[in-house]
Amino acid sequence: MTRSKILCTKSHLMGHIIKSMSDQTSQAESQQIITEVLFNSIGDGAITTDEYGKLTRINPVAEKLLGYSSKEVVGIWFPKLFTAYDSNGAQMPITERPLTRALVTGQIISEHVIYKHKNGSLVRLSLTISPININKKLVGCIQILRDISSEYEIDKMKSDFISLASHQLRTPLSAVKTYTHMLIDGMMGPLSQSQLKSLKTILTAVNRMNETVSTLLNISRIESGTIVAERKPLQAQKIINSVIDDHRLTASDKDITFSVNCPSDGFRLVTDGMVLKEVLGNLVSNAIKYTPSKGKITISAKRDKTRMIISVSDTGVGIPIDSHLNVFSKFFRAENVIKNEASGIGLGLYLVKGLMNELGGEVWFESQEGKGTTFYLSFPTKASNTSTLKHISPRKVKNVTAKVRKTVA
Amino acid sequence: MADILVVEDDRDLNAAYKLILESAKHKVKTALNGVEALKILNDYTPDLILLDLLMPVMGGLELLQKYQLKKHKDVKVLIFTNMENSPEVTQAYDLGASRCIIKSWTAPQNLTKVVNDVLEESNKAKAKIKQPINR
Repeated sequence: MTRSKILCTKSHLMGHIIKSMSDQTSQAESQQIITEVLFNSIGDGAITTDEYGKLTRINPVAEKLLGYSSKEVVGIWFPKLFTAYDSNGAQMPITERPLTRALVTGQIISEHVIYKHKNGSLVRLSLTISPININKKLVGCIQILRDISSEYEIDKMKSDFISLASHQLRTPLSAVKTYTHMLIDGMMGPLSQSQLKSLKTILTAVNRMNETVSTLLNISRIESGTIVAERKPLQAQKIINSVIDDHRLTASDKDITFSVNCPSDGFRLVTDGMVLKEVLGNLVSNAIKYTPSKGKITISAKRDKTRMIISVSDTGVGIPIDSHLNVFSKFFRAENVIKNEASGIGLGLYLVKGLMNELGGEVWFESQEGKGTTFYLSFPTKASNTSTLKHISPRKVKNVTAKVRKTVA
Repeated sequence: MADILVVEDDRDLNAAYKLILESAKHKVKTALNGVEALKILNDYTPDLILLDLLMPVMGGLELLQKYQLKKHKDVKVLIFTNMENSPEVTQAYDLGASRCIIKSWTAPQNLTKVVNDVLEESNKAKAKIKQPINR
């Protein structure tokens, strides 16, 4: 039988069913039955709630995923039923949960979340919540849930492996680096010019390998959610200076000069010094790599009303405009640099973006091909200002929360 | 000049740190793990412990717990690790460590500088305590 014939037969059959149903029941009732059948046939978990977050419908796949039968949960306020945890396992406050955000903003929310199964176990889910509107009025939401526990386990094994391999690589690298430095510093006796030059070449290569290992390690930490950012008051200028010190040797090979514009107080900032150093290190290393000989790299720090901003500016090759959207993607390298610069794996800026997220800050850039690039890092002045609801007015959140409370009571 | 205990399981690095710190005029003792370090600390109070975190037999965190660092106010601990941004570093701070630096990023002159900085901060703190109160 051909495909079209099958389709004809199926639609014919459906027509019959609808017709026979409508013979017996009203059209509205049959419509409801069809909706019910369609809803229950969805291969992923599906849950609908009303505009206040009260559960109105749950399909068999979702029942199985979360361990509750429809009878047990319909009519109950969703946040009361299921505690939500973010992908790192931290409990989410009600105002930050995907359902609340979908109800407040009226936007589709897609993210990974953990819900608690009836038996107490945690279920890792990929979640998409779409608001349901009738005549432009929000009447509820539909959540589509997919169990991603096995994908997560595989991903975790991959991250653990990278982490372990990187650690094992780092110890011998530290020894090579330390002894090379000791030789260069003359601790083992005087050296000839050619010996010194060879040692500096070894050091540059070790530093490059170190950076790669460090990048892999940090990416595996970000992706597995095990990175810890310890925010403390610090002077950003000290970190800027130490990053410049680390890169002076590579920069001097290309006659590239550094300049720093920093407020006189040393630019006090509350953030994680090591993470900031890693971020700046990546930006400066890129700036050196993509700036021709005799170029200039400027690091500036300034503040405005709500943010502290550090920028790294170079007189390099710039980023072609058609690459601007992909700059922070994993493994991305722009066409103009692939042609001229062999080294690099395209993870540096992906890491910078991930680390800045961990710090609760932002990163963006301005670039003109052939003239140079400036990367900007911004840090909130208040460490707690990282709420995902920051773009929504507090009054709106309050209104919805009040509505929700009323419904529960 | 200060008394320093280096606790590092990698023999090459352990020997290197001893050499670097001795050339900066410090007196250095070494241990290859936490157990060896605790034995030394039984009858020796250094000004500073340069401590690795990940070591066989007994790691740095366990050493800090057993030694009860917070009771030894005069002993400063400088964590020297390759596990930056990890929960272990946070725990080390909670247990009283003063500073943490990354092995694979740190050149010898920077190691000497950080060691001297921590010792200087500690000396300033001691001087403040000893200062008579003006009435």
